[in-house]
Amino acid sequence: MSNVSHLKRLSAVRSNAGVKFLTPCAFPGSHCPLHSALALAGNIRGVSSLVIGTPECVTYSRVVLQKPGRRHGELHWMYVLDAHEVVFGCRKGLLDAIREMDRAGAKAILLIGTCVPDLIGEDIEGIVREAQQELSARFVFITLGHFKCNSFPSGSWNMLKAIGSLMEPRTICPQVVNVMGRSPDEEHIPMPPLLSALEKRGFTLRCLAPGAALEDFLEAPDAAANLVLSPFIDPLAADMEQAFGTPAFRLHSAYAPAQIDSLYAALAEKLGIQWENEFDRERSEALSLQEQAGDRLHGLRYVGAHIGPLSALPLAAYLASLGMEPLMLHLEEFWPDDKECAKALHAYGYDPYVCHMVNRDSDAPLLESLAPDLCLGELSGARLGFPCVPHLSDLYGLCGHERTAGLLKKLLHALEESGERNDNGTVSI
Amino acid sequence: MTMGLYQFKPIPSGRMGTLWTLASIRDSALLEFGCMGHMNYSRVFLERVGVSNACKLYSAHIDETDIALGGTRRFSRAVADIAQRDKPGILFLLPSAVPEIIGTDLPALCRELQPDFPDMRLLPFGCGGFDVNQHQGIREALTLLSRTLPVDVERTAQPSFNIIGSCADLFRFQADAAEIVRIMEGAFGMKPLCVMTSDTSVAQIERMGGANVNLVIRREGLPAAEHLQKRFGTPYLLARPYGIQGTCEWIGRVSRIMGISPDRSFVEGEREEALRLISPALPMFRHAAWEHPENVRVAAGGHADVVQGIVSFAGSELSLSKGACWCDSPDMADGDLPYYAEEQWTETVQKEGKSLLMASGEALEWAGRSTELQIANPDVKWRLNPYEPPFVGFHGAVHLANLWVNAIMEETF
Repeated sequence: MSNVSHLKRLSAVRSNAGVKFLTPCAFPGSHCPLHSALALAGNIRGVSSLVIGTPECVTYSRVVLQKPGRRHGELHWMYVLDAHEVVFGCRKGLLDAIREMDRAGAKAILLIGTCVPDLIGEDIEGIVREAQQELSARFVFITLGHFKCNSFPSGSWNMLKAIGSLMEPRTICPQVVNVMGRSPDEEHIPMPPLLSALEKRGFTLRCLAPGAALEDFLEAPDAAANLVLSPFIDPLAADMEQAFGTPAFRLHSAYAPAQIDSLYAALAEKLGIQWENEFDRERSEALSLQEQAGDRLHGLRYVGAHIGPLSALPLAAYLASLGMEPLMLHLEEFWPDDKECAKALHAYGYDPYVCHMVNRDSDAPLLESLAPDLCLGELSGARLGFPCVPHLSDLYGLCGHERTAGLLKKLLHALEESGERNDNGTVSI
Repeated sequence: MTMGLYQFKPIPSGRMGTLWTLASIRDSALLEFGCMGHMNYSRVFLERVGVSNACKLYSAHIDETDIALGGTRRFSRAVADIAQRDKPGILFLLPSAVPEIIGTDLPALCRELQPDFPDMRLLPFGCGGFDVNQHQGIREALTLLSRTLPVDVERTAQPSFNIIGSCADLFRFQADAAEIVRIMEGAFGMKPLCVMTSDTSVAQIERMGGANVNLVIRREGLPAAEHLQKRFGTPYLLARPYGIQGTCEWIGRVSRIMGISPDRSFVEGEREEALRLISPALPMFRHAAWEHPENVRVAAGGHADVVQGIVSFAGSELSLSKGACWCDSPDMADGDLPYYAEEQWTETVQKEGKSLLMASGEALEWAGRSTELQIANPDVKWRLNPYEPPFVGFHGAVHLANLWVNAIMEETF
């Protein structure tokens, strides 16, 4: 274990700062928060963006958003600080830039400060306030220094919180429910039965995720409830809970059938409805798989690698209830609720190492040295000498019993699968 | 347009130019002490332009504590990890934006750590400042490589040459370098010793002093060639061979500075073959030039040496005329070839109507023009295929003539 002695165990971690790199050299490493903020901004109709930073940041931002303009008049422009501005600030240049975007017709502009403006302490918030008084476009600002975090999730949740700051109280429409963390035009992800059941009862579902419009977000405070399907949007749900009293039902962290039932019951009570037997089939399947999995999974020791849009610790807490022991977990982000999950894991007697995996080639042998039975998620491109449960990102946009069933199927499948597996779509020659 | 505001990619930084110069060097490793998002995106950029699995690229990342306390332990651990795992003979250290601001002294750190790594040379690169652009970064990287890596060697037993300045930032860099290699082999029976840097290893750079001639294919490579001339007495030629006659003349210049005669039958054979291939289009060029002169103007923007070479071929060997031309670096601008920033090139591109517009993929796509006429970056496509036709040499001349005749046909008839 000497090679992991620099890592902290989960019980000792209080924030992202406590989550250390497993090995010291990043390649390819994690995306910076700019990536996820921009990917979201580019997929919310009506939101324009201005990336503020170095030539690196703005050039590479075109990997995410290739073109400066979008179909509905959104503008995605860039501002590069010169050597003078790095020392003396970029107030004037930036003011001129946002005036120009305003003239060009941008309606709502997300200003994204990257590492350099963040480090030099440029008061972009102040510049935004100043500009707001004279311009018709609405401005929000987020600062996303990558040195403040290990990875990309803060780009998403900061961006969503910034959009949330534009929300104003609305009269509650009892028949409207926000679905947070699922796109309005999902074609390849099945509609969760919970959402179908709500639609059947006449509820209007407003999806808040990439693919939605800014207007959808601005109208969101009129909803009777927020169904939170992704940890990335949970901070916005928490803000709305506080600002508008919109109750949040955190389905993204619920895996155990009993926990899901209890959330569904609370939701029904809040909405003044009663469920029939519409979830029985999925619940039965989840329970049956859980029973099947019980013998097979109990006592297994696993490591958690990259698990896509899922939050690692709620998942680990559920798997602990099935008797699976986490040896080491990659945490993309240490979320506010993670302290509770850590306590839950501790109650099962588990206190795994937590880390950030940034180099598949050097991380893989270290994981193998722990001799786990299973790897949850992927270490892209690395060949591991033990089974992996890949493609957990398939669970995005799902919730409830069917998500639990999907998870258990993937676990059992990985254990049953024998022989060579090609996890990455690579060509075997 | 407000200074600093961009709709299209700005001139890359010196840090980026340095990385793009080093990333293709085999048997080396590179470490950036800075936020790891840079390297993640750099990898994407490099893979898309066709550079992968050469120099091992790493980032040490940097966090708030490192910044607040000036901590460099992360950097030292990363260096040690690379030495232990990859065991490269040389580790390039790349400057990064955040350490540049907080004043991290990369050369001093390297001097401090070097004694612990006797088998791995630590080579810090400069050009980290915010007033340094891509072309300056490339120039300095090529110069530093040529000053520090080559060892004392005898001339190679068989005559050989180096190419200096073939780097990943140039559009279609592999194909152009391959055409020059083909011509040198055919005309002089010479093998390349070092194609710096798009197809080379550390060992090849170390031995580059053994070459008979240095072929410098962009002006950023000039200080490197001057240094190598001073140290090894190697003559150099700064030129890119464009056109059929232009390539013959280029071969003549190479021949004169080396004092070696070319294989006349090869040169004549190549010349005749290229002329044979383009000759069916020559009446079309003449006809279009007479009837539709506005359609045979070659308007070009990109690297100064590329633009000058292509436009010269179009004007002096075919019946095409010169449209608006510009270069992509303010350092290279002169009376004949101005530098155009975004505001100027977008305006120019719109005015150039039916001319044969050759520019970056980004500019052509935005203007709704054919991206087949792309001669410069920024690109908008992946370039996995290094076997596409070149622009330089005999093959490049045929390729350009083919592109132009089709573009003229499309606009005119």
